[in-house]
Amino acid sequence: MSTNEFVRSRWFMPLFCLFLGALMFAAFAIGDNVGQGAISLAIMAALGAVFLLGRRSETLRGLGGPGRDERWAMIDLRATAVAGTTVMIAVIAGFIVEVARGEDGSPYALLGAIGGVTYVAAVAWLRARG
Amino acid sequence: MRNEVRTLRTARGLSQQQLAEAMDVSRQTINSIEKERYTPSLPLAIALARYFDTTVEEVFHVDE
Repeated sequence: MSTNEFVRSRWFMPLFCLFLGALMFAAFAIGDNVGQGAISLAIMAALGAVFLLGRRSETLRGLGGPGRDERWAMIDLRATAVAGTTVMIAVIAGFIVEVARGEDGSPYALLGAIGGVTYVAAVAWLRARG
Repeated sequence: MRNEVRTLRTARGLSQQQLAEAMDVSRQTINSIEKERYTPSLPLAIALARYFDTTVEEVFHVDE
């Protein structure tokens, strides 16, 4: 099975959810909070089960992998742009509020800088690729 | 984008699912193309035209 076939298989998203859950569990366990880690792992496992079992829904199939095709790639691209724009608006708003409170604007300034630099770098890279 | 996909498909007695499998896309994508809600990529438009043994211009119409 190629990487692309695996990503489009019904197993990718459930396994990815389990991987993220295990990562969260490990992080919480390192921070001496195993209980919260177990809850996070259970939530991610439940989400993975929804992706695995929710095969009748086009939305779940598209989010999970099996239903992906070029139309879904376009939907994914636009949804990512909406989510990214929303996060950047929230970061800018948070920065302004923090500065108005007399704080130094962290961590919003750093997050905004990462977002801005990443956007400009991506534009330059994608332009160079044609 | 206006297109003749539904006309061509039904003329050949194909279901949306059969055409979707032939094009390696989902049935919903074929449905969206037929309802003119989704404009397919150039490779998919060419594949559809070849499948129906015609040209892209005969399948898809750009309103001037």
